[in-house]
Amino acid sequence: MLSLSVKQLLDNKGIQAKPEHLEILESRWKGMQELRGTLEGVKIEDADIGLRNIPGGDHIG
Amino acid sequence: MAKELIQKSVEELAPLLKDGSLSPVELTNAVLDHAEETQDTINAYMTIYREEAEQSAREAEKEIKNGNYRGMYHGIPMALKDNLYFKGKVTTMSSKIHKDFIPEDDATVVSKLRDAGVIFTGKLSMHEYAWGITNNNPHYGAVRNPWNTDMIPGGSSGGSGAAVSVGSSVASLGTDTAGSIRIPSSICGIVGLKPTHGRVSKYGCYPLAWSLDHIGPMTKTIKDAAGMMDIISGYDEKDPTSVNTPVDQYLEKIKGDVKGLVIGVNEEYFFNEVDNEVDQVVRGNIKALTDQGARVEVVKIPTLKYAEWAELVTSLSEASTIHHEDMLKRPQDFGDDIRMLFELGELPSAVDYLQAQQVRRQLKQEFEEVFQKVDVLIAPTLPVVASKIGEDTVELNGNKVDLIDNIIRFTGPGNLTGLPALSVPGGFKGDLPVGVQIIGPAFSEALLLNVGYAIEQTNPMKNMKPPLLSKA
Repeated sequence: MLSLSVKQLLDNKGIQAKPEHLEILESRWKGMQELRGTLEGVKIEDADIGLRNIPGGDHIG
Repeated sequence: MAKELIQKSVEELAPLLKDGSLSPVELTNAVLDHAEETQDTINAYMTIYREEAEQSAREAEKEIKNGNYRGMYHGIPMALKDNLYFKGKVTTMSSKIHKDFIPEDDATVVSKLRDAGVIFTGKLSMHEYAWGITNNNPHYGAVRNPWNTDMIPGGSSGGSGAAVSVGSSVASLGTDTAGSIRIPSSICGIVGLKPTHGRVSKYGCYPLAWSLDHIGPMTKTIKDAAGMMDIISGYDEKDPTSVNTPVDQYLEKIKGDVKGLVIGVNEEYFFNEVDNEVDQVVRGNIKALTDQGARVEVVKIPTLKYAEWAELVTSLSEASTIHHEDMLKRPQDFGDDIRMLFELGELPSAVDYLQAQQVRRQLKQEFEEVFQKVDVLIAPTLPVVASKIGEDTVELNGNKVDLIDNIIRFTGPGNLTGLPALSVPGGFKGDLPVGVQIIGPAFSEALLLNVGYAIEQTNPMKNMKPPLLSKA
């Protein structure tokens, strides 16, 4: 079931995952979810965001 | 004489070049000969620019003879990582897809080094597109560790680490997105500095992950790194992430005095699951600093527990964005290992990415709070030493653990926060070098180099050289 969802997710984006990668991808994705945990203590809904919109100063071209 | 020359650092060579007792031509030929001799064994170079380097060396010789000595790096032969653009020269990122790519402009760091009189001897191998830490490249072969050629040199700047370590480049530059300067520096027993994000221009560097990428020196000594920082630092309007803040005088500020320095030690994250011998080496170096008048304060940084996740989501998402079109059209042209990472990077959602940025913000705030109390943090650069070429796991206190996950654990926070981080050789586990990592507040590179110098002065490497260099 999990294998199907990772494959479907990639298929939907037009990415042809190598069949032999799917199991490893599942395992790595699961590992990442474990690292994430609940994000308890992180101010996700804080008034300020980590990304900033700074007008001007970019280079042209 | 030629064999003695390749062992010397920039700080040793510069006075000889300046006073004319050493010719840039002689030095360049010694380095080029050694690069060619060690290529079969180490495979550090992608391309050697023999003719151009000899021509540049003759010009440098003439200039110095005429009294136009430009400074510490004038007449120094060195090669750079192959993701830094040289105008009109093939720049491959050690990939198949970009094997014929010719940039239209020099990278800003290349221009600055050229203006300082550096002689470019060629381009150095790297992990394909900088997206890995082994430098076991499927298109151009594995780069080998000069300390033990069965082992990886680390990556992604593995060619730079191996070349500086073995003496086939007197110094070099690396790029660092999750540790790619500090990892090979630690593993190859050299100095590597990831500067503050925005301190060194990234214009003309092929990106891996925009918000995490940095360029910095990889050198034999701390003073070599400081001298290079004097050249490459500064605001660049061509790089939108460049920060317009005054540049320090890095070399001049190195005194090695650490009396009164407050060293922060974070046990929960930076000393958790560390190889016992690596742990001992790093703590031994901290003790050496306290013996010189520094003191230690234990600090907490709670959000570090989410740092690995935030680093992975951010780097995977940004890298997969950059390579998305090629993943649609020609995925078979990527090496298998990075193709899988690009597949993995398609999985996080926009929500995942933005949550990771909120973690970064909180982490930055916590580091800032810590630096109100301490001057620097000291930690192992890596929890382990080099692994065998071709293996996906590494031994950690008797257990086999995932190589990639473990090797970036302690370097990633420097990229997430953008804070400067230095790896300085601290000793050995067996025949393999161990790096000590020094992390500081934004734009504190001069302080980090000074602390690194204090460590270097205790001679933790006991004057040991890689076998290929000491036998040369």
